[in-house]
Amino acid sequence: MGTTGRRRGLTRRQRTRLLANLTGLLVFALLMFPAYWMVATAFKPGRDILRLTPQWFPVNATLANFIDAVGRPFFLEDARNSVVITLSALTISIVVAFLAAVAVARFGFRGRAAFVVIIIAVQMIPLTALIIPLYLLLDKVGQTDTLTGVILTYLILVLPFMVWTLRGFIINVPVELEEAAQIDGCTRFGAFMRVLFPLVAPGLVATSMFGFIQAWSEYIMAYVLLNSQEKQTLSVWLASFTTQRGTDWGPLMAGATLTAIPVVVFFLIVQRNVVTGLTAGAVKG
Amino acid sequence: MCAAVRTEAAAAEPRSRTELVLRRQAPWVRARRGLGPYLLVAPAVIVLVAVLGYPLWTLASLSLQHFGLKELIAHEGRFVGLANYTSIFSDPVFWTVVLRSVAFTVVAVGLTMLLATLIALLLGHVSRPLQVLLTSGLVFIWAIPPVVAVDIWQWMFDFEFGVVNWALTALGAGHFIHHNWFALPLEGFTVITLLVVWGAIPFVSITLFAALAQIPRELVDSAQVDGANGWQVFWSVTTPILKPIFLILISLSIIWDFQVFTQIWVMLNSRPGSGYFTMAVYSFFESFRITQYGLGSAISVVTVLALLVVTFFYVRQMVRIVEAPL
Amino acid sequence: MKGKQLAIGTFGVVVALLTAACGGGSTGSSQPTSLTVWLMNGSAPKSVVDGVNADFKAAHPNTTVKVEIQQWSNVTTKLDTAYAGSNPPDVVELGNTLVAKYASAGALKDVGSKQSSFENSSTWLKSLTESCTFNGKLYCVPYYAGSRAVIYRKDMFDAAGLKPPTSMAGLLQVGQSLMNTHRSDANFSALYFPGKYWYAALPFIWDFGGDVAVNSGGTWKGDLSSSSSQQGLQQLNTLVSTLSRADKTGDELKQDQAFAQGHIAMIIANGWEVGVITGANGGDPSLTGKLGVFPIPSHVDGQTAPVFLGGSDLAVSAKSKNQDLAEDWVRRLANTKFQSQMVTVGGVIPNSTSLIALQTDPLASVFASAAKTSRFTPNAASWANVESANVIPDMLVSIFTKQASISSATQSADTKIGQILNTGS
Repeated sequence: MGTTGRRRGLTRRQRTRLLANLTGLLVFALLMFPAYWMVATAFKPGRDILRLTPQWFPVNATLANFIDAVGRPFFLEDARNSVVITLSALTISIVVAFLAAVAVARFGFRGRAAFVVIIIAVQMIPLTALIIPLYLLLDKVGQTDTLTGVILTYLILVLPFMVWTLRGFIINVPVELEEAAQIDGCTRFGAFMRVLFPLVAPGLVATSMFGFIQAWSEYIMAYVLLNSQEKQTLSVWLASFTTQRGTDWGPLMAGATLTAIPVVVFFLIVQRNVVTGLTAGAVKG
Repeated sequence: MCAAVRTEAAAAEPRSRTELVLRRQAPWVRARRGLGPYLLVAPAVIVLVAVLGYPLWTLASLSLQHFGLKELIAHEGRFVGLANYTSIFSDPVFWTVVLRSVAFTVVAVGLTMLLATLIALLLGHVSRPLQVLLTSGLVFIWAIPPVVAVDIWQWMFDFEFGVVNWALTALGAGHFIHHNWFALPLEGFTVITLLVVWGAIPFVSITLFAALAQIPRELVDSAQVDGANGWQVFWSVTTPILKPIFLILISLSIIWDFQVFTQIWVMLNSRPGSGYFTMAVYSFFESFRITQYGLGSAISVVTVLALLVVTFFYVRQMVRIVEAPL
Repeated sequence: MKGKQLAIGTFGVVVALLTAACGGGSTGSSQPTSLTVWLMNGSAPKSVVDGVNADFKAAHPNTTVKVEIQQWSNVTTKLDTAYAGSNPPDVVELGNTLVAKYASAGALKDVGSKQSSFENSSTWLKSLTESCTFNGKLYCVPYYAGSRAVIYRKDMFDAAGLKPPTSMAGLLQVGQSLMNTHRSDANFSALYFPGKYWYAALPFIWDFGGDVAVNSGGTWKGDLSSSSSQQGLQQLNTLVSTLSRADKTGDELKQDQAFAQGHIAMIIANGWEVGVITGANGGDPSLTGKLGVFPIPSHVDGQTAPVFLGGSDLAVSAKSKNQDLAEDWVRRLANTKFQSQMVTVGGVIPNSTSLIALQTDPLASVFASAAKTSRFTPNAASWANVESANVIPDMLVSIFTKQASISSATQSADTKIGQILNTGS
C-alpha cells in the first residue's frame, strides 16, 4: 500500500480526501439526525407530529410550539434561575478550582497525593446516591428551595473535574514566565494573577464549557431541591411538558431547542479556545 | 509568600510543546513547603468538606442502618451493622445487576472510544469547511441536555409514531411497524447504548481531535519516510503520545457509563422493569421506590468502591504523575 | 458526632458567606404565618384555587398561602425528601394509592377527630374515604375522584349500525364487527388496550368476583390466581387479542393521541381524556361531538363492572407548624362550594355522592355514575411498592404476549404481591 501510494501520490491523496469527505458527510448526517428531528418536530403543527407516517420536513412549518412553550407559566423566571445558578456555580468553581490547581501543579506539599485521590474519587460518587444526604444537610441550614442550595450542590458536580483539568493547563505554562514576572517585582501571587491567569484562559474556557453543560442540564437535584415554580430551572420546567395526560411533543421539542440554544451560543463564542484548550490540558494528563 | 527562592536559573525557552510535555515539573517550586499551597488548596477543600463531608458521612451511616420511609421522616434509623451489605451480596439480583452494568460499561465505553477515535481521525482528513461543519454539529449534540436527548430518542423509537420503525420498514430492513424496542431488555439496551454513545462522542472526539492536531507533524512525516503505513503510524507514533489522554478519557467514560441513570430512567418513563436495572438504577429504585434507603445507600457505596477498584490503575498513575520527583 | 457537627458548622459558614455574597436567600424573619400547599399539576382549576385562597384570607388575614404546583412524574422522590425535611408543605395533595405509604410512615396528621367538621363527610365517596383510612384512623380528606369508562367513536358505531354494548360478550361482538368493517386498515383497533394498562384490567378481575389481594387475619394474600380473577383475565385476554393492535408491552400514556389519529373505535379512559382527545396539542378538535361514553359492561347483561376509583386526597403534614390553619384550608377546598366548582369547572367527580348529580354534561355524567360502583387497591402500607415493582403490568404483559399462561402468570404475581405486602416497610 505504501509503495503504490507513493507512486501515484497526488491522485491517491485526492481520492483519499474525497472518500474522507463523503464519509464525513455521512457521519454528520447520522450524528445530527436526532438533533434535526428535535428541531423539525418543534416546527411542526400538532397534527403533523403524531402521524403514523412520519413527515421528514416540517411542511406546514409553524412557530406555534415555540409560542406555546414560551407562554407557559414561569418560563422567564426559570430561564433566569438557570442562568443565575449555572453562572454562579461556574464562577465560584473556576476561582476555587484555579487556586487549587495552582497548588497541585506548582507546589509540593504534604497531602497533595491524598488531595488528588479525593478529587478523582469524588467524581465516582453517583449524584443520585446523594439526594437524601444532601437534602438533609441543606434542610438543616434552611437552604432547600433556594438557589443557593442548588449552587452549592453544583459546586461538587463541577469542581473536581475543573481542578483536575486546570492542573493540566497550568503545567503547560512555562514556569520561567512567572519567574520573569517576579524578577520584575511582582509578588508570587501577583505573578500567578498577571502571568499565569491569562495564559491559562483558554483552558479555563474549555473547562467552564464542560461545567456549564453539567450545571445547565442537571435535573434530579434541581427537581428535588426546588419546590416553588418560580425558583425552578429550565430542565425542571421542561419536565412539566410530560404529564399524566401524555406528552406535548411539539412544545417539548420547542422548549428543548430553546434550552439547548444558550449552550450552543456559549460554545460558539468560545469554540476556538475550547478546541485548543481542551487538548492542552488533556495531553499532559 | 513573595520571597520565593529561585533554585535554578531559568532554563532556555522550550522549543516546542512536545518538549514541554516531556519535561517534568518546574524545578523552582520544589523546596517550598510554606503556608502558600495550603492557602491555595483551602477553598477547594473547604467547599468539598462542607458540601460533601456530611452527606458522605450520612451515606455511609445510612448503609449500616435499617432505614425506611418511617426512619427517614423520624431521622432515626436502626443500626444493623453490615446486614444491608450481606443482603445485597446474597441477592442473586444484585450480581445480575453488577454483570449487566459491567457489560453495558464495556460495550458503551468500547464503542465510544472506537467511534470517537475514528471520527477524530476523520476530522483530520476532511476538507476545512466540512471540518467546521462536523465540529459545530458535535458541539450542538453536546449541548442538548441529557434529559431532552432521552426524550428525542424515545420519540424516534416510539412504538406507533417513531421515525425509526417507519424508516427501517421503508428501507426493507424487516417489518418494524408496531415494534416495541423496549419489550426485550437486550433490544432496549441496544437503543440506550446508542443513545449514551451518541451523547458521549462529542466530548471524546473533540478532545481527541484537538490532541491529534498537536502531534508534531515531523514525527508523522519521519515515520512515513521510514516506510510506515497509516496504521503503523497510528500505532507507533500517535498512540504513545495520546496514551495519557486515552487513559483519562477511558477512565472518565468508565466512571460515567457505570453510573448510567438518566438515560435508562427517563427512557422507560420512570418505571423500568428489573431487566433494566444497572447499579445506579437499582440503588435509586431501592431508595425511592421501595423506600429502603439503607439498602440503596449500601448499593451506592459498593458502586463507588467497585469504581475505585476498576480505576485503581488510573488513580495510581495520576498520583505518580503528580508526585513525580521534581 | 463531633466531626458531624463540625462539618455542618463549616457548611453553615459557607452558606452564610455565599448568601451574603449573592444577596439572595429570601428567608424573612418574624413575618406573619405562611402556609404552603402542594397541589398536583392539572388537579384544580385556577379559579377554584383562587376562590379558596380568597375565602381563607378573609378568615385568616395574617396568613399568606402559597400554592405550589407539582408534577406527577417522580413525585414520590420529591415527597420522600420533603417529608424528611423539617419544613414540609403544610398541605399536600396525594394520589389516593400513595396515602397508605405516607400515613404508615408517620408523615401525615390524623384528622379523624375533626372528621365531622368537614362538610359532606358523611357522604364522602366510599373508596376515597377508604384510601384515607389506615389502621382505623383517618389521615386525609377526600379531594376528588376519577373513574374510567369506554370512550367510543359514535360515527364509527353508526356507520356499522352498532349500539353501545350492555355486556362483556356484547363488547366482544361489537368489537369484532368493527374489526370486520375496518379490516382493510392495518392500524385499526376496535378496542385499543396497551398491555401495561392495569387500571383498566382491574374491572374485569373485580367483575367476576376476583381481587388483587385479600387480607385475612392481618396477612395479605395475592388473589389474582383465584378462579374468578382468572376468569376475568381470560375475558380480557380474548378482547385484547382480537380487538387491539396497541402495544402489548406498552403503557397507556399515549392512548389519547393515538385515538385522535382516527384508527381506533374504543378506549378505556378517564373522564378528562375526552378533553385531551379533542384538544389542540396532539388531539383532533374535529372529533368533538363524535365521541360517546358507555360504562365498562359487566359479564352479567345490563350491569356495569366495578371500576378502579382513582383520585386525590388532601393531607396535613404531621410536621406542619400550622396544622389548624392547614386543616382549615383543606376544609374549604373540600366544602360544598368549591367541590361544586370542581364538578362544573373542573369536570371531575366530587368527593361526595351528594354532589355527583351536579354533573350535567352527558359524557361526564357517565363517568360520574361509574364512580358509584367503584373499588380500590389493597389498602396496605407497602401497596405502593407493588406498584413500583410493576407486578401487575408485568403479569398482564406476559399474558398478552403469551409468554406465560394465565394461571402461571397470576400465580407468580400472587407470590410477589404476598411477599411485598407482608413485609412491613
